[in-house]
Amino acid sequence: MSLLSLYHLVAIFLLAIGLFGIVYRRTLIGIVLSIELLLNGAGLSIMASTQLTPTPNELGQVGALLVMGIAAAEATLLLAIFLVVSKRFQNVEADKLITMKG
Amino acid sequence: METPEYAYLAWALLFGHIAIVVVGGFITVLSKSLVRALVGLILTLFGVAGMYFLMAAPFIGLMQLLIYVGAVSVLIFFAIMLTNAWPGGDESVKKPVKRTVYAFLSGLAPAILLSSAVLSTAPASFLVPEETEVSELGRFLMEPFILPFELISLLLTVAMAGAVILGLERRRKK
Repeated sequence: MSLLSLYHLVAIFLLAIGLFGIVYRRTLIGIVLSIELLLNGAGLSIMASTQLTPTPNELGQVGALLVMGIAAAEATLLLAIFLVVSKRFQNVEADKLITMKG
Repeated sequence: METPEYAYLAWALLFGHIAIVVVGGFITVLSKSLVRALVGLILTLFGVAGMYFLMAAPFIGLMQLLIYVGAVSVLIFFAIMLTNAWPGGDESVKKPVKRTVYAFLSGLAPAILLSSAVLSTAPASFLVPEETEVSELGRFLMEPFILPFELISLLLTVAMAGAVILGLERRRKK
């Protein structure tokens, strides 16, 4: 087992626990916390794949930066969506959001 | 090569950061209070940032601290406080066993598949990665990677505009 596999196993742990959280959590905010874990795992995996192999290092570093940018954009938009949802439905539980209102 | 005691220290640091990531991940997913879950997420983010530092990429590690710990976690904290997801509220209700089993399976299945793939096809890797200069990174971002760079700035602008529009709509309806 090389060092790269160790880093990849940590990334897979983050992926697995993120998926676990997405199914397990009741509120939308808990689901977003799990999605952040997932995205972190993706960044870690991209980074390890280029830093520890002969692939050009810049690829992985820029890839990790892009993942962070996407996470930031996602968090911004989701905050606004949660505000609207909690205003309309009085809660943010995923199981209770079953009606669509125009 | 380094002296063996430094190598020992490096391994200890690596496994310490892995432990931080694992503990933080479990706190994030299992904690009853959402604020505690957020603290667990911040712990994980610090652990991942430390792993970036250990991979000789201090710039990305600092960006992780600035963007995730500085901005994203504060945004999520606002989301917890501004909605009705009170700490000790919705998440503290006892969860049905069926949901726990489904969640466990949905996490475990890809983990087993991917980790067996990783362990069986792992290429040889460096033990000591080399550091890339930030100026190299900037040149790479400006010349071959200019399109993704511009696209991500467009994405951020659109997301921010969308957030503002959603907020304004809420106020107008009231």
